Amino acid sequence: MASVAAWLPFARAAAIGWVPLAKHPLPPPPFRISRPGVLPSSPSTSTTSATTTSIGERRCDEKIILNVSGRRFECWRSTLEKYPESLLGSNEKEFFYDEDTREYFFDRDPDVFRVILNFYRTGKLHYPRHECIAAYDEELAFFGILPDIIGDCCYEDYRDRKRENTERLIDDRLHEDDDKIQPKPLSPRESMWRAFENPNTSTMASVFYYVTGFFIAVSVIANVLDTVACGPDPETGYPRSCGERFTRQFFCLDTACVMIFTVEYFLRLYAAPDRLKFVRSVMSVIDVVAIMPYYISLFMPHKGEVSGAFVTLRVFRVFRIFKFSRHSQGLRVLGYTLKSCASELGFLLFSLTMAIIIFATVMYYAEKTVVSTKFTSIPAAFWYTIVTMTTLGYGDMVPKTWAGKLVGGVCSLSGVLVIALPVPVIVSNFSRIYHQSQRADKMKAQRKARQSRIRLARNATSNAFVAAKRRHEQNLEDSNASGDKSIVNPFESQHHHLLRCLELTTDREFVEMGPDMLMSSGGGASLAAGSATAGFTNLGSRSRFLLHPRAWWCCKSRRRRKTSYKFNIERKNTNNANASGDEIDAEIGDSQLPLTINPYNSSTLSPNIIIPSQEIPYQRNSTSSLQYNVVLHSNVNEPLLPATKRFDLNLPFDTVNRTELNRKANSLMTVYEHSSMNDTGIGESASKSDTYRARSPSSVSDSTFRRTAHVQILAKDTHEAV
Amino acid sequence: MPKTSNTDYDDDGLETFKRYKPRSLDELTTRTKFSKKEIQLIYQGFKQECPSGIVNEETFKHIYGQFFPFADTSSYARLVFATFDLRSSGCVTFEDFLICLSTLCRGSIEDRLRWIFTLYDTKKSGKITKDDFHVIVCAVYALLGNVASPCCDLETIREHTTTVFQRFDKSHQGYITMEDFMSFCLNDPNIIQSIDVLRTIV
Repeated sequence: MASVAAWLPFARAAAIGWVPLAKHPLPPPPFRISRPGVLPSSPSTSTTSATTTSIGERRCDEKIILNVSGRRFECWRSTLEKYPESLLGSNEKEFFYDEDTREYFFDRDPDVFRVILNFYRTGKLHYPRHECIAAYDEELAFFGILPDIIGDCCYEDYRDRKRENTERLIDDRLHEDDDKIQPKPLSPRESMWRAFENPNTSTMASVFYYVTGFFIAVSVIANVLDTVACGPDPETGYPRSCGERFTRQFFCLDTACVMIFTVEYFLRLYAAPDRLKFVRSVMSVIDVVAIMPYYISLFMPHKGEVSGAFVTLRVFRVFRIFKFSRHSQGLRVLGYTLKSCASELGFLLFSLTMAIIIFATVMYYAEKTVVSTKFTSIPAAFWYTIVTMTTLGYGDMVPKTWAGKLVGGVCSLSGVLVIALPVPVIVSNFSRIYHQSQRADKMKAQRKARQSRIRLARNATSNAFVAAKRRHEQNLEDSNASGDKSIVNPFESQHHHLLRCLELTTDREFVEMGPDMLMSSGGGASLAAGSATAGFTNLGSRSRFLLHPRAWWCCKSRRRRKTSYKFNIERKNTNNANASGDEIDAEIGDSQLPLTINPYNSSTLSPNIIIPSQEIPYQRNSTSSLQYNVVLHSNVNEPLLPATKRFDLNLPFDTVNRTELNRKANSLMTVYEHSSMNDTGIGESASKSDTYRARSPSSVSDSTFRRTAHVQILAKDTHEAV
Repeated sequence: MPKTSNTDYDDDGLETFKRYKPRSLDELTTRTKFSKKEIQLIYQGFKQECPSGIVNEETFKHIYGQFFPFADTSSYARLVFATFDLRSSGCVTFEDFLICLSTLCRGSIEDRLRWIFTLYDTKKSGKITKDDFHVIVCAVYALLGNVASPCCDLETIREHTTTVFQRFDKSHQGYITMEDFMSFCLNDPNIIQSIDVLRTIV
């Protein structure tokens, strides 16, 4: 049975909390049917006698049958009891014992169970590579086995997959946060910071981004051109650089650049949420280093006197090129890689140093005998060793003795080896980090395409679902008519009953609405239902649990989290506005439903708000073939209202209109009109005013699938039993 | 040469598995009023939803959300969770859950009324004030979602709260004690009958 159905008793039991609040007495429960194998509701005497005998049986070793989703596994009881901490090894499995078939039934994945059972048999837990890490973890959690026990053969694999998965989840969460609409307005400081960090947020931000990039480039090029030879000095005849020739122009350029950089730095400093952290960050240090030389040179008395220091300062100007790392993700990735490969780099450096010293020493002593040797000292030989080990071989220092040549040969060979070893580690790190950052961008782009494909798939299968549902409805009718109750699903009837109790407690009724914001949305819709966080992700293929999130909440624009609607995907039927009352493609993000004017805070109940008479755009999904119109007709005794008299949604829904609606809505029927390319014949009206149907999420046969529903707005002082 | 430790493995250390296993089936059969079969069914559903054996408030919210679609189930789920959480630890084990469920489904009318009182008494002060009532009523209305008609606004809720509170608070003390509550409910046949209506078969 569906596991959520197992919680229904809990939900119903907890519902007694509504009873003192109820305005009306609650309806009687649905008929009780005895389900096979369930004892009647009277408290049963504990089956101690049965237990003792079964305990007696357990003493000797016996074969246990484990039925996992139809696949039967058999093993000795003692095998399972090897690990008493787990589910199978302890008394916990008794909860899953089926008396009739005398086996333990688990509704889980049999493939993973095989691995788990092997653990009991062999003592080694393996991780099958083709399994999804999340599913595997879940199974382990269910059976009470810690993943630590995974054997050495599979442990690394498991760890890697787990790490990837965690990183992916973190990425997803981060990006979800990015995608969320920011409901509250940001202060100018916050918005400025966002603009700085992410140039895509607004045009100003990207303008700023490109302008700073341009000036960085200009500054770097100016630095470079500063030193190019520009023709001889007319006075002295010596060649001079462009910087000396066009001093003033270069100075102006430099000033402009530095001013821009200064302004940028101070703006960032102001906008930063944590100024101390910002000041200590690498980019900020680079910024400061890039502009300080200019200011220092401004305040220095005279260029000539402190030329040495001045020249050094000019060198620092080249650091401006590092400012490009804000503009380039690849640079950032490179920097991050180097940081993360610090140990490999350190090893490389250390081993090189060792080798250099060794070879330089040997070289020096080997070449000492040569008359005019370049190897004057060991440090002098360092240069030769470095050049040789990196296979550069300038040729300015060459050994002349045969011993020296031998050492030189060995040196160059070993140089190749030492340098080649840590490089692949660095490369693989770089590759991993780079691909991760690329993947994030790719996923964002793919997400939109994926969602539209999913929508298409849903639309295509909706008709099949409608047909199946109508068949089931028909069955329910037949069973009611003939009095044969056996076809009815007790779970559904109990669920309906629960919803009915809720309605009576609060003196309201569940209604249906169309996507063009009928009725309850018009009524101010002030009960902010908030985001239905009904996550049906665990339901899997439990088709009984068909939820019908019609366009009931079309009036609320809430950014739903994706998880709330996964059930839509699994049930493959959600066509928007299927006139038989099927579920609607309820993602607000699909923009199939019109959005309200005011998003409501989901946790407070806002007072009655009058929706101003605006044109509320009805955005239709271009691929949807059904159009959904809810038209109020009067009941069979009154003629069908002409179109002009129908309720005008664009009117402001104030008290006047509301009473009008009340008047019309008493004993109204709701008729759904729709036009469809695949006309399924839905749209006829029926008048069954005596049956109450709950709009239960559990019911396939729910009357809300009927084309008409008896909509009654109960007046507060009179109560008509429906 | 110091070897920097590979922090990757330390970072994604296993989450601490707070696993809980209930005691034996037989013990639970004696302590609660359910039969063995019923406990088995309940446990299977429980375990499927919470493999670690412990429920927290999030799960309650999620489960309620599956029965009351379009609703904001967080407030009611929080209230119910508070009554189930006997040790105020933030986690409900299967035993706690089963014991509460047994009281609710199979207990005497007084036990159930006592449970309702605990549900309403959000501050655990032994008295229910009008604010407590208001909280409950808001939570119940929130379960409706916005799909019910006529619409519900703050005024309606306040009205409802006042009406019901006045019904209970005959002596106009401003608060209701357990005895008042119990005596009132026991004397009201509607309430007794309604409570009976929600008796469930597993």
